[in-house]
Amino acid sequence: MDSNMAFDALADPVRREILGVLAAEDECSAGAIAERITSVGRTAVSTHLRVLRVAGLVSERRDGRFRYYSIDSSGSARDVLSLLHQVFRAGLQSVDGALPHEVGSERLA
Amino acid sequence: MSVLTLTTQEEVSAPPHVVFGLFGAGAGAGWVFDALCHRVAPGAAVTLRAPLDPDGAPIEILGRIGALRAGRLIEIVHDQPWRGRTVLRFAANGRGTRVRLQSELDQQGLEWLLRRRGHVLRNVHCENTALGLLTSKSGPGNLFAAASDNMATLALEEINADGGLRGHPVELVVGDDETDPVTGAREARRLATAGCRTILVATTSATFVAVSAAMADSDVLLVQTLMNEGGVGGGLRIQLGERPADQLAAAAGTMMHAAGGRRWFLAGNDYCWPRGTHAAAHEILPRLGGRLVGERLVPLGSTDFAAVVEAVERSGADVVLSTFVGADAAAFQRQCHEHGLHHRCLTLAPAMDESTLTRIGTDATAGLHAVSGYVESLDTEGNATLRSRYRERFGRWAPPLSTLSESVFEGVQMWFASAVLAGTDEPRAVARAMHGARFELPRGTVTLDGNGVVGQRMHVAEAVGTDLRVVTSS
Repeated sequence: MDSNMAFDALADPVRREILGVLAAEDECSAGAIAERITSVGRTAVSTHLRVLRVAGLVSERRDGRFRYYSIDSSGSARDVLSLLHQVFRAGLQSVDGALPHEVGSERLA
Repeated sequence: MSVLTLTTQEEVSAPPHVVFGLFGAGAGAGWVFDALCHRVAPGAAVTLRAPLDPDGAPIEILGRIGALRAGRLIEIVHDQPWRGRTVLRFAANGRGTRVRLQSELDQQGLEWLLRRRGHVLRNVHCENTALGLLTSKSGPGNLFAAASDNMATLALEEINADGGLRGHPVELVVGDDETDPVTGAREARRLATAGCRTILVATTSATFVAVSAAMADSDVLLVQTLMNEGGVGGGLRIQLGERPADQLAAAAGTMMHAAGGRRWFLAGNDYCWPRGTHAAAHEILPRLGGRLVGERLVPLGSTDFAAVVEAVERSGADVVLSTFVGADAAAFQRQCHEHGLHHRCLTLAPAMDESTLTRIGTDATAGLHAVSGYVESLDTEGNATLRSRYRERFGRWAPPLSTLSESVFEGVQMWFASAVLAGTDEPRAVARAMHGARFELPRGTVTLDGNGVVGQRMHVAEAVGTDLRVVTSS
């Protein structure tokens, strides 16, 4: 993928918001994305998804009349965004293991 | 600022106040909650050690705690390696807590991460005049360079708001040497390819020397903005900043008087600037009545200074000349303090800066002195307005200014004034215009003689908490 087309695609705040949503999900339908993006309407979200797809940042899967989107797994932006997401998530997942013992027994009670 | 926000959340099986209390406690609660900070309070310095490089050392995200609501929210405002906010929110969820994390990544941050992960980015040639800044966004130099990028950004925004260079805006292109000379040389070549005809270098001297050699055949002006030991010559090389001999001459008498003794121990990192400073000390201190009782050099990036601290103690020194930089300087000072060395001797650290002081922490800076041409608290009219413009632009939690970062602001202003005077940004013409010039800058008057030797006032400053306060000026 061309990282530089990605930058042009990333110049728009709505497209960055869409990527933020997709970075946290494996795959998301166009409708589900539009529900999460409240700053613009459904049609505009579709247009932005097309730009992101052409730039190689997201990939599209069709299933009947539904379209599903995910961050393009072959792209360099995917590498960076999903890495960052995984690393933050792993950071939070380690919290439970550090809880004081008495809190642990309290939750078992 | 164009920002992408990454969001993640986890359920934790304990109430919010318990989970909140784990932050900064070093309880083995993962890299986010195991953030390094001396206290959890607004303004406290925070280091997150993100395992972004599976095979290498963690990448340090440096910032401060901004907003804080007990049991509910922790905001971290960070500047290295990219600017943004990372916010943790805690909400009761049954008997447990839902922890939600949101972290901002701006365009520069994304670019930095892509390069760091080895992706090749097309080198866009700037249409307008481009000015390069080579700084340290990662590695042990990330501390002293925390505000360097901000300073260059502010200087160029002000220049561009005034009409730029001959009516066109000047673009800033930033490179990261990762506090490594080889990486620095590679990044400098990238900046030159992007169209930078002048590159301001605000890194260790080790990187500046390597960049200078690597760019020997390029028609690019290299300006080292911050303090250095000199010695890199040629028409397209300018070394601004304080020189060790001037710093030692300004500070030696004050230090020996304050310490009530004349025995000096020299300790620092093993590369050209500390070695150059120690060489100057060998020459100057005896002449001023000082006596050298010991010397140690350890590699940059060291974390355990026990052997050095013990050697200082055994020597009976009255003054330690500390030429450690960045994270090494912070760790050395903390270990000296833990050992109680501040009861026995004072420390003069010529490269100690306000950003590094925030990492040492208020409780461990006793006895520490610096000597430089600038401190953030410097009482000049130019500096008072610079401070307020900086805070207005980058917010109250942006890293403090210091002689190392403020030199970048002045480097941009000197470059611009010289390009205007020369009527071109052609590097040789700019370099000629910088020589024999006099500049009125936030720190005061700075002159460059015909050989490019800098003249400026020198201030001995004492650490008070995490500030540097001027004791004497010369």
